[in-house]
Amino acid sequence: MTEEEVAMEMEAVEAVYGEDCVILDSNPPHLHLHIKPRTAEISSQQFVEAVVRIQASSKYPDEPPRISLIESKGLDDQRQKHLIGIVQEKASQLSSSLMLVELCEEAAERLTIMNHPDGDCPLCLYPLFPEDGWSKEMPFMKLMSCFHCFHCECIIRWWNWLHTQKDTDSKSGDTLHMRRGTSTHEGNSGSGGQSLGNCPVCRKVFHASDIEHVLDLVGAQSSQKDSGLIQGEDEDPLLQSDSENVRRERFEAILKTQEEKGGLVQPKKNISVVPGMYLPPPAPVTASSNEEEAGHSREQGEEAPKEAESETNSSSSTNHRGRGRGRGRGQNVNRRKPNSQDPRKPTRQWVQRAREDDK
Amino acid sequence: MTSSPSPSRKALSKIACNRLQKELSEWQVNPPTGFKHKVTDNLQKWIIEVTGAPGTLYANETYNLQVEFPQHYPMESPQVIFVPPAPLHPHIYSNGHICLDILYDSWSPAMTVSSVCISILSMLSSSPEKQRPTDNDRYVKNCKNGRSPKETRWWFHDDKV
Repeated sequence: MTEEEVAMEMEAVEAVYGEDCVILDSNPPHLHLHIKPRTAEISSQQFVEAVVRIQASSKYPDEPPRISLIESKGLDDQRQKHLIGIVQEKASQLSSSLMLVELCEEAAERLTIMNHPDGDCPLCLYPLFPEDGWSKEMPFMKLMSCFHCFHCECIIRWWNWLHTQKDTDSKSGDTLHMRRGTSTHEGNSGSGGQSLGNCPVCRKVFHASDIEHVLDLVGAQSSQKDSGLIQGEDEDPLLQSDSENVRRERFEAILKTQEEKGGLVQPKKNISVVPGMYLPPPAPVTASSNEEEAGHSREQGEEAPKEAESETNSSSSTNHRGRGRGRGRGQNVNRRKPNSQDPRKPTRQWVQRAREDDK
Repeated sequence: MTSSPSPSRKALSKIACNRLQKELSEWQVNPPTGFKHKVTDNLQKWIIEVTGAPGTLYANETYNLQVEFPQHYPMESPQVIFVPPAPLHPHIYSNGHICLDILYDSWSPAMTVSSVCISILSMLSSSPEKQRPTDNDRYVKNCKNGRSPKETRWWFHDDKV
């Protein structure tokens, strides 16, 4: 093989893999290949990732290049060895012909086959996949930063616990924990006011947005169990109502603050507490029931401000409660579903973007 | 044993119970080297016998660890102490309290009794000399009323041992 041919091969590798390929030396070839499973670029379907080094000697291709794993995510030892072993084998099979592209392809294909989470949830120690196959009862999720996987339920429980703790700590002025908190933030100064956490397994920092979609998922599932049918019926008309959309936006904002504070449930119970505080423009769909309620609320309207002052701390939640009342008590519970589902859309987009950033 | 500075102890939550049963059954299949779980019917308080690793200052010595689990284990860390007599070690107080960050600030729910045990044995094994922490007397005096080490504000200054 001439030097020219090897150089052309390197060009081909560069053309095929683009930014996923870092060429350290073109002759003899030495490169790092960042491989991801071929999951049609859907990052939520990606559970493993690897950087493989291919380093050839001056005798390439008569002598096969050395293959090694530089870093990986989501792969246990066994799968790491397996991956490298297979690519090495391929390399010796192909010796004396130009093989770089083929090796890279082999690695990517093998990694795609290995693209599944494995083992137990690190928090409850029970398998991520129950032995009897896929279980809808225990969905799992992975952290985008390190690919460690957990049952959704388990990580949410931990996340909420953590935030309850943080609240108590800062109230009691625990200096130790405060110190720890600031050091975490300093390490990630670019992240602004974003809420951060550390992976329970490797302590790698992740953003709250990483698990927010799971919070929504868990919420949506539990309310689905509660009352699936009725929601399905009034979901569509509600979507067309402007005032409903506004209400949802507020609800979302409140939900967010709750998540940040770790107090998930509390306001849901209190939605209908203050009568007649604020009357939303009647939504066309539920007009009849609204008027009844509204009239009822007006009667009590005079007392309302007092109650509100003594009762609530923030104006936003006061409004919110008033609205809830205006809509009628019985329906509030059902409305939870669309509200908790909605935020998933933005988060999905976030996931996609993050993926693009990765490259 | 009057050793246990009992924390205000609430019964284990269901989640804690499930997790501990799982840990126990895994321990029985694959116990960490150098440790023996003394079987009782109390899931919430384990007594574990440690044998010093061969070739270290504590070779052939045995000590008892007491691991007590809070209601919200594994969100909350377990309380781990040596049942006196505790090994002579620069990070182990004579009342059995252990100065080890993972038991307090750096606890993570992904840790297990087994992984904690391994950390403690490794801490023992790397000790250069058998001695008490310099502030032993002051600390032990302060802990008089059976205080839990989890209430101590630990200052983890030394990661060599």
